Parts: sequence; C-alpha cells; structure tokens
Amino acid sequence: MAEWNAYYQNEEEDLDGEEGEESGVDYKTTGRDSLVFLVDASKEMFIKEESGELTPFDMTMQCVRSVYTSKIISSDKDLVALVFYGTEQSKNPRNSFKHVYVYHDLDTPGAGRVQDVDGLRGEDGAKVAAKTMGSGKTNLGEALWCCSNLYSDIKLRLSHKRLMIFTCRDSPHEGDSERDRQARTKAGDLKETGVVIDLMHLMKPGGFDVSIFFCDVVSPPEDDAELGLQMEPCVKLEDLKKRVRAKEMKKRSIARLNLCLGEGMNVAVGVYITALQARKPNPIKLFKDNNEPVRTKTRLYHTQTGSLLLPSDTKRAQVYASKQIVMEKDEVDVIKKFSDPGLELIGFKPMERLKLHHHLRSPVFIYPEEEMVTGSACMFTALLKRCSERNVFALCKYTRIRNSPPRFLALVPQREELDEGQAQIAAPGFHGIFLPYADDIRTLDTPQLPTASDSQVDKMKEIVQKLRFKYRCDAFENPVLQKHFRNLEALALDLMAPEEIEDHTMPKIEMMDERLGSLAQEFKDLVYPADYNPEGKTANKRKPAGGAEKKPKVDISEDELRGHVQKNTLHKLTVPILKDACKQFGVKVTGTKKQELIDALTRYFQKTV
Amino acid sequence: KKCDQILYHLSYYSALVLCVDVGFSMSNSGPGQEPPFEQAKKVIQKFVKRQVFAENKDELGLVLFGSDATKNNLAKDGQYQNIYVHRNLMIPDFGLLEEIQNDIHPGGQQGDWLDALVVCMDLLQNETLGKKYDRLNIAVLTDLDSPVSPDQLDIITGNLKRAGITLQFFLPFPMDTDEAGGGDVGGSGPPHGGKGLSREQQQGLDLVKQVMMSLDEEDGLDEVQTFSDAIEKLSVFKHVEKRPMAWPCTLTIGSCLTIKIVGYKAVCEERPRKSWSVVDAQTHQKEDVKRDVVYCVDDDEETEVPKDDTIQGFRYGSDIVPFSKVDQEQMKYKTDGKSFAVLGFAKQSLVINRHHFMGNQILKVFAPKDDEHAGVALSALIRALDELKMVAVVRYVYARNGNPQVGAAFPCIKEKYECLMYVQLPFMEDLRQYTFPSLENNKKYTPSENQLSVVDSLIDSMMLVEENEDGEKKDLFKVNHIPNPQYQRLFQCLHHRALNPSAPLPPVEPWLITALQRPQAVAARSRAPLENMKKLFPLKEVVKKKELKTSKELSTEQLFGNREVYRTAVWKQGGLQNSGLVTGRTGFQILNIIVTSLSHIINAILRD
Repeated sequence: MAEWNAYYQNEEEDLDGEEGEESGVDYKTTGRDSLVFLVDASKEMFIKEESGELTPFDMTMQCVRSVYTSKIISSDKDLVALVFYGTEQSKNPRNSFKHVYVYHDLDTPGAGRVQDVDGLRGEDGAKVAAKTMGSGKTNLGEALWCCSNLYSDIKLRLSHKRLMIFTCRDSPHEGDSERDRQARTKAGDLKETGVVIDLMHLMKPGGFDVSIFFCDVVSPPEDDAELGLQMEPCVKLEDLKKRVRAKEMKKRSIARLNLCLGEGMNVAVGVYITALQARKPNPIKLFKDNNEPVRTKTRLYHTQTGSLLLPSDTKRAQVYASKQIVMEKDEVDVIKKFSDPGLELIGFKPMERLKLHHHLRSPVFIYPEEEMVTGSACMFTALLKRCSERNVFALCKYTRIRNSPPRFLALVPQREELDEGQAQIAAPGFHGIFLPYADDIRTLDTPQLPTASDSQVDKMKEIVQKLRFKYRCDAFENPVLQKHFRNLEALALDLMAPEEIEDHTMPKIEMMDERLGSLAQEFKDLVYPADYNPEGKTANKRKPAGGAEKKPKVDISEDELRGHVQKNTLHKLTVPILKDACKQFGVKVTGTKKQELIDALTRYFQKTV
Repeated sequence: KKCDQILYHLSYYSALVLCVDVGFSMSNSGPGQEPPFEQAKKVIQKFVKRQVFAENKDELGLVLFGSDATKNNLAKDGQYQNIYVHRNLMIPDFGLLEEIQNDIHPGGQQGDWLDALVVCMDLLQNETLGKKYDRLNIAVLTDLDSPVSPDQLDIITGNLKRAGITLQFFLPFPMDTDEAGGGDVGGSGPPHGGKGLSREQQQGLDLVKQVMMSLDEEDGLDEVQTFSDAIEKLSVFKHVEKRPMAWPCTLTIGSCLTIKIVGYKAVCEERPRKSWSVVDAQTHQKEDVKRDVVYCVDDDEETEVPKDDTIQGFRYGSDIVPFSKVDQEQMKYKTDGKSFAVLGFAKQSLVINRHHFMGNQILKVFAPKDDEHAGVALSALIRALDELKMVAVVRYVYARNGNPQVGAAFPCIKEKYECLMYVQLPFMEDLRQYTFPSLENNKKYTPSENQLSVVDSLIDSMMLVEENEDGEKKDLFKVNHIPNPQYQRLFQCLHHRALNPSAPLPPVEPWLITALQRPQAVAARSRAPLENMKKLFPLKEVVKKKELKTSKELSTEQLFGNREVYRTAVWKQGGLQNSGLVTGRTGFQILNIIVTSLSHIINAILRD
C-alpha cells in the first residue's frame, strides 16, 4: 500500500504549488550513502604531540562523533561504521580477521553509538580503548578485507561508498613488503567495487610521507589537478573536521539540465543545493502498545457510495465570484508548463544590476556535467572565466522539471578559491540567484523622516566600531534544532536532563555593554530628547471601562438578505450580522471568516430561489 | 500616473461605470484593421475579467450608447435616446463576462457621448447614495464619431467636479493625431482606413480636451488613452495588492540602546490565494469526496489501529523516540517575544556572499512614521553602516515562540528614503560545503585564447543593458517587470474554462511567450558569435544505455498506467483466486482485495 499512500500525499503537496520540491532526495531511487571510519589504534595514535592539544586518537573520535550527530540531524538514512585496525583484540562478524576490531558495523547512527564514541574520548577514553581493544600488530590488508565484507553484507542499495583511513603512521607495516602488497591488493579490490578510499592523515613527528605507502592505497583524486595528496597532515581538530565534512557528503544534483546558449548549443550542467534550511523532522506516529511506527494510509472515498475513488475519478476545482471552475488534474499540471526542463540563456548584465533585494529563496549552484555532453566543462570554464573577469552575470530562464513554471536566475560566476593549505573554500561554478517577478515585489509607503546629522552619524560609527566582529557563515548553530535533538538524545539514552545548548543567537549583552561604556548614553543624548521613551511600548490603548458591551442584536429580513445576495453586496454587512443570519436560516458554515460566511449564505439563497 | 490608479489599480473600493459606444461608426475599419467596437469590447472584457478574478468589491455598471434600444432613467420626450443601461452598479461576476461575450453587439444608431456621460453620472449618483466609496469613476470608450450638443458642457463638468467623479477616455486613436487629417499620424497610420479624423471626431477631441483640462489642468490629458494601450496594460493579470503588514519592534544594541522600528516584507514570492480542491469527476461536488486516513501496524495483515492508540515519536538516527506533544512543547526551545537584537557589526564583504542568503523574504526596516526621534536614530545607524561598509548581524524573532534567525541588516539609502534591509543568513546546519574538481586548473578544460575571445564576442552581443547617446542606460530585459507567468496562465485558463466549460484549454498568450524570450534584437545580434562558438567548442552528447527504470516509476506505472495491465497481473499472480468476484461482494471489497494483492506484488518487485 505504500505507493497509494505516496501518491495521495504528493497530490496534496502539488496543490500548494512548488513548496518543498527542491528539499529532498528520494532514497528509494538513489540508494543510501555509506561511510566507514577505519581508524588506526596503534600506540602512536595515543601519544600527544608537543604542539597538539589532543592525541590523534582523541581528535579522530571527536571527528567521528560530530559526523554521527550531523548524520542524525541531516541525513539519518545514511549508514556509518567504525572499525579499528592495529588492535590487540579482534572482533568482526565471522572473527576471521586478526587485529581488526569492528566497533560499529555499517548501520544508521543512533544515540547509543554517539554515547559509545563519547566513551572513547579524552584520557578516560584512551583507557577504555586500551582495555577493550589494546594496540597490537598492524595488518591493513586484513582490515580493508573486513571492511569490504561489511559493505557486501548490506542488503540495501548503496549509492555512495566511502572509506576514510585515520592514521598518523605513514608506514603502517614498517617495511614488511608482503603486508604492504596485501593491503594494496585489498584496497584495489575495494576501489573496484566502487568504494572511494580517503586518507585523513594526522600529524606525525618528522612529517607524514604519503608517497612511502598510502599513495597506492587511496583512490586517485577526482581529477588530475586536485592536490588532495599533497595536503599537509591535520594538526587541528577544526581542520580535520572540515576535511572530513567536505568528503563525507556526497554531492547530489537536484537536476541535470542543458544550459542552452543558442540553437543547438547545449552545455550539460548539474544543479546543486549548497544551502538549505535544515528543519525539524516531521514526527512519526507510533503504536502505543509497542512504540513501533505505524503506517499511514490516506484514501479518497465517495461520500455517498462509500467506494474508493481512483485518481481518475476526481477533478480539481476553484471557485471565483461564486462560480466553480473545474479542470482535470492533468490540466492543472500542464498549465504550469511553459518549456521543457533546462536553462535558457537570455543574455548578460553587469553585476551592479543584481540588487541586494533580488532574493526569493536560497540559490542553486551550477557545475558542468562532462559525462553527459563532452566539451561542456571547457565551454563552461570559458564562460565562467570571462563572466568573472568582465564582472557580468548571465541571465537565464530556469525550468527545473516538466510542468514547473519558469523562474529567472542570475548566474553569478564563482571562481575557485583555495586556502593556504590548498583546500578548496569556494568551488568553481555559477551561483544561480532567483530573481523576483513583478508580483513578488511589494510597494511600500515609505515614511518621510528627518535624517541624522554628521555628529550623530559619527557617534554611531564609534559604536559600530566597538562592536565589530568577524562573521563566519558556519558560526551559528540553529538553537531550535540543537535543542530538539538534545532532547531526543536525552530521551533515547534515558539521561536525567538533556545536555544544555549554547545559544549563539543571543546577543552577549554584558560584553556589549562593557565595550560600549558611555557611548550608548552619549548617542542617546544626541538623538533623543529627555522626555522620549525609546523602549517602544507605546501605552496600550485603554480598554473601554465597564467590560465588553454586547451590541444590540440586529435582525435582518429574508428579503433584505436575498437582495444583498442578488446584488452581491453581502460584504457590506458586518460579521455579527452575517453570523446571526446564518443562525437564523440554519446555514452551516465551515469557518468564521467573513468570506466564508458570505459564501455560505450565497449558496443557501441561490439554492432556495 | 494617475490613470494607473483607477483602471489598472485594484486596491481601492470604488464604483465605476463603463460607458461604451456601440454606434454604427464603431464598426468601421480599414482593411485588415480591427473595428473600434471589437477593440473596445476587448478592453472591457479584460477589465471585467481582472475584477472578477481579483474578487475585490468594486462595483461596476455598464452603459451602452448608440444602441438601437433605449433604457435609462432620464429618457423621456425624445431626450437621452439610444442610451441603454445594461447593468446597474454591481460587483462584476461571470454573468457579466458572458453577457459581454455574447449579448453586446454593435448598434445601428449614433449616440451622443455627452448625453451618455450624463446618464452615467445619474446612475452613479443614484446608486451610491448613502454608501461610502473611495472613488467614483466613469470610463468612456468611443470613437467620438457622432454629433454632440456641447451646450451643457459647463454644467456637466461642474457636476462631475461637485460629485467627485473622475473621468477616463479610451479612443481608437492617440490624442495627438494630426489635426489636418492628412496621412501623417506619427507613423502609426490614421484611423478608419486612412481617411484621417472626421469633423465630428475633431470636434469631439476638442471637447474631450476641454472636459479633461477643466477637471484636472495638469494631468487631465493623461486620462485619455488608446484602446491598444489599454488592452496591453489590462492583459496582465494583477493580484489585489495586499496592504503591507507592519511588524513593529525595537532594534536593540546591548541593554541600553534601543530604537523603535517597523518592518515590512518588501520582496516575497507571491502565491495565488486560492488552491485547487478535489471534487468528484461526475458530480463536481467537493462534498462527495472524503479523505480518509487510517493507521496500520507494519505486519503482514496490516492491522489497522485506531488513531487514539497512536502516540507521537521522532527518529533519532536509528532510534525511535516516543515524544509526546506535551513533552515536546515543554522541552522545546522557547523565545520570549519578537526581537531585532544586534549581535555585532561585520564587514559587508564578508556577509555579502549572495549564495548564503537564506529564507524567502527581504524585510525593509524603517522607523515608525510618526516618530522623528526614532527616525534620526535609525538614520544615524544606516548612515554609519553605509559609510563604514558594514552590516548589523542581528537575531530576528518574528513573534513569541517563533524560531529565531540570524540575519544581516544592510544599510539602504535611496533618494526618497533610508532603511535597513534584512535578509536571513544560514545556520551551520544549513550549509553543505561541497567541493568540486577544479576547472581552471585542469588542463583538459582550459579554454584557448581563441575560445575565450569568441566567448567575449558572445557576451558583447548579448548584453542586455545598453547605453544610448545620452549616457542613459537601458535594460532590455527587466525580470522585475514581468508578471509571474504561472499566474497569468492560470487566470487565462480559468477565464477560458469558466466561459467555455467543455472546450480544451487555449494556448499560452503570445505576449507572454514573447515576454519570456530573449529580446529579438539580442537574438539577432548574437547569431554570428553563436555560430563561431559552435565551430570552436565541439559539444558531443554522450549516448548512454537506457537507464533502468526505478522501482518507483515501475510500480506507479503498473498502478495507474493501465488498469487492464495490473488486473491481469493480479490474475496471473493468482492474487484473486476465489476472491469472491462471483460470490457477490461489493465493488469496494473487491477493489480492496485487488489493492492488497497488488501491494504484495509490488513489494515482491521492490525486493527484487
């Protein structure tokens, strides 16, 4: 029945237009992402570097934890595993591999797993690790083999398979060529089954030399120019987290389209979402006897006959000026169609023509798809380079899917930016900014008010300078989401109270006051007269004394009402009168809005004519 | 322009009389030209359509003159003849649209448009007696090609002024038509098949000017327009403008500096007010369709459980956590009221990463309109930010227990006003920092100098902003002047379907198609560079083996593609063995069985 359910639910959404169309990826059709953390548990991992604040092992665990929690929040269907190698103890599905300890096999992370990883953090965590796993002989080949079994044991369709090796040793087998060879072979097998192997190498005294061994183990970079392997080993937790984060998320396009420059000139591009408002997930319904989820089935019935209605048994209707206009469902869909899916170049405009207020929703990101049309990447690159150098944007008509109405995008060139460590901080491509139509821009009555004098502006400048800070787009966590998930975590783990969250969206009042000192008062003295209250609360209009007076009931004759219905002037009556009239004639009303009352009365009188 | 506020603007509560010439001269036209009567009819059709779909409460009357019949309150003793009050003041409905389409035909008489004007005034005054209107207006649509008796002119204009009635004229020709009546009429060709204006029309035009100037010396003549202008403007469906909702709040900087502010939504995706409801295909009754939701346990029998036996829960990764609404409400993050609190100030260059703008609106923040002091204080902030090229990073909460946002308030200084412009910024959870392979550092994709220069010529040829000799910039394609095509199309189809219930839907209107296309001039200019591009950039589509259909597509097809197909599928699977088709179960029971068997089959397919 799942399909019926899905059908009807989609239908409901369709009625409201495009809301939410770009929000999600359908796991049914694309399969799930999977990620295996393969972590070195040798003694070296537990030694703190002189400059480092954390041991490599501790850093790795913090990183694993943050991936676990972020997966829970943003993609809870993804599978994650945590495997240690170089352990003394062994633990794996068939216990066929020595010195490999599968801590978590491939599954969706939950509260218990987060707690497990927490248990491995810090000095206490190191003790726990030593006690349960210990450090022993290293055989990376066995470990990789074990991981490949984890993948093959999964019955679900996996779309993206990734394995990350965390280690601070560049020569894990200390020159044992047989074990090196075995590891290379197993890595090759894994890569052949579509697993991407990354190295998250950590700081080691004397430097980490990738070329000794790991260069043959990890997957080749996505393209020749990627400098992945030359990257310096991570020293800081922040860097490691960033590096893991960048790799761990599979890029998924929401559409693959042609960017049409002119007749017969189609460049294939993928459309990606790089920022999307993360929302609290929807609640699910559970059967109270066993706390198992129940399935929801939505069906349409005919009220009179009680028979189940197929989609073809229904039509769609809207009412205007008390006339019902009926269309087929297909017609409702097809009138949204203007052109086939794609991006159509209209022309170019100087960047200054893109105004700050041209904003309707978060933008999309456009990147070429060389696999669909060869030559796309080259033309795309040429366009990107020249648009950027000439400071122009491309104006395009954007039709995302069949039957989606067109929107116009400003394609703003974004050239690649790298940080000192050669890590990408901005990907190359075009940002597609949604431009408003005439209907989307509202006319406002702007108040006519005096402007500030130079001395007032100067004082405010001092204030602004005092409260400067360096904005980073990833500095603010969503307190609503964080609180929600901490609550769930606490309930799942039976904690006494959820972990407190730090709410970065709250102004740091004390610090601000301290920094401002007397400036705030000085500014107020400059702009506000002594008797002015800038606190806002204009004195509430006093409510009439003596409580609410009931207005006398106004009766209205049937003839009068009929007259109003005929002349379409019911709206001139007040809501209480309309309500009374409904009561008087026993007219059923579905709401209390004026229009609903009018509609109900109109229907009543039209029927009784 | 003021005229926009009357016939094109819908935010007033007004009464309006359309005064349409149907006299015989209105049917005259040169070869290949549309008769003025047909044009006038289009104007009123489009206007009424707009009013009907906007469902606003403006009242409309329709008076015809030059008609064969006479019907009006003033007609007696041979006075006010051939003037027919078709409709008194009423809110326009589909009935009126149908009447205009089917019942209004050109007459064979001549009507005195000044007489008709008097009838309209009389109608307006009688019907609006004792009621309140923001505006009273008469729109006269005529070719002026009939004799009038102007002796009462002063009295008429005097009465119009006294009653506060505004006037508009719609003519088949522009006001500045050459008086000599020759052929040279601003290049657009003279009306009525090249004969120029008749004497009556000359005289009429002078009278119109006289009337309009006496009503409004300065802008009076703006209210005289051509039919074709009006048709063009009225072709665009306009939403009723919503009165912007004020959001009063205080901007705070630390604990002791506050400024009173008012926020307004300035940019926001406009959606249609009405949605489609599901009706029964036969009866077209909404009440005949009932949506029914049942819950069932995930077992083989799919046992249904009553709604009361379910509780709310959430997924926490692999865990399922029962979490009642009450607990959730109690434990959730709470905000204690609206807020616009400055967290600090940051460099604009760090925040203007356009691709980090979130949310779906732009808010403009002003001081309250009667509060000069707040105005000065806010102005100081706006100017300070503008001069320092900085923004205020603020915590924004719309209302008590609303979700908090972090956003940027940009300074915005315009000729007529100053304000802060607020846009939401992302939370850490919202960002997906994908890395993509480098393009420019990849030798395979590096374009040659030749390729780059042809791209340059393409950009040159397709620039949409041009500078004319006076250094004035002209934008050939302003998206913010295009009405949302989705709604234009929707209302076109609704209108068509309302009047022609059984006809197929019409094609998209040509003006709308043109409005969404590359401007012709640009298309022409870009032809040569595009040809060069084609030569220099070889593009080849990669032929892929046909991808397997996804399970979802397959099953949907089987379910809804062809009922015969899945019925046989069910038979073949033996799902309906002894199903009781013959033992007289109800249709619904049978369907239920089919559906259940089908879902098993689908599950089997999915498992494969």
